[in-house]
Amino acid sequence: MTNTFVLTYLIYLPIVFGLTLYVARTLFRNGRVFMLDIFKGKADIADATNRLFEVGFYLINIGFALRIMEVDGYWGENAYDTMQEVVETLAGKVGGFAIYLGVMLFINLFLFFRGRRKARQNGITINPVPVIPQPVH
Amino acid sequence: MSLNLLAYALFFPAMLVLAVGVAQTCHRHGRPWMLRLFDGDAAFVDAVNSILLAGCYTVNLGYIALVMAGWEPITGIEQLLATLARRMAIIVLALAALHYQNIAVLLIWSRFKQHQATGKRAT
Repeated sequence: MTNTFVLTYLIYLPIVFGLTLYVARTLFRNGRVFMLDIFKGKADIADATNRLFEVGFYLINIGFALRIMEVDGYWGENAYDTMQEVVETLAGKVGGFAIYLGVMLFINLFLFFRGRRKARQNGITINPVPVIPQPVH
Repeated sequence: MSLNLLAYALFFPAMLVLAVGVAQTCHRHGRPWMLRLFDGDAAFVDAVNSILLAGCYTVNLGYIALVMAGWEPITGIEQLLATLARRMAIIVLALAALHYQNIAVLLIWSRFKQHQATGKRAT
């Protein structure tokens, strides 16, 4: 049996990087709409801010993922040498990280909404007032 | 291979399919509601909706993985079924709770919006 610690880390790392990449890409691809609203349609500054926030998002989340990677608590009576322990530890770590990532995503979404509301409150909106569509029967 | 591992191998794909299915249903059928809430601004609604879908995936799958640890040692097939059912029930009920909460938020928000609109028209 290979070293189960190394095995755990080798499975853990691609999963968390993939997860972070997926969430960040989704968040900031769609965040552009908010940024354009916030910066009144100035595309250059909106894209720049979006990109800066994206890099920050990567740094925070990958940092946190690496911070919680170490498998500890197995140096005493537990040997950490069965596949079941590996699966359970991985599930706990990846699951906890995914929920944390979801919370970060909702915090970001909240900030987007807040920025958009503030921008609409104190300033002239460039976007025209949207038309309420009539229900189609 | 221990029966615990077999239980995990059955539990995870089943719950994965369920969570993804529920999330996609919410995503698809929540869109008309969101269009109403955001005055038919389709580009904005699609952006918010896909961010919400990603959030739904990460939180639900994270919770599924989190539940998948520390099960009691499974010794026989009857215990396998009982344990699986109990753990799956947790996930299914959690999904149900989230689902009804989603519907409640949509309903309350659109009520509120309707109320605001009629109030504005009156003044």
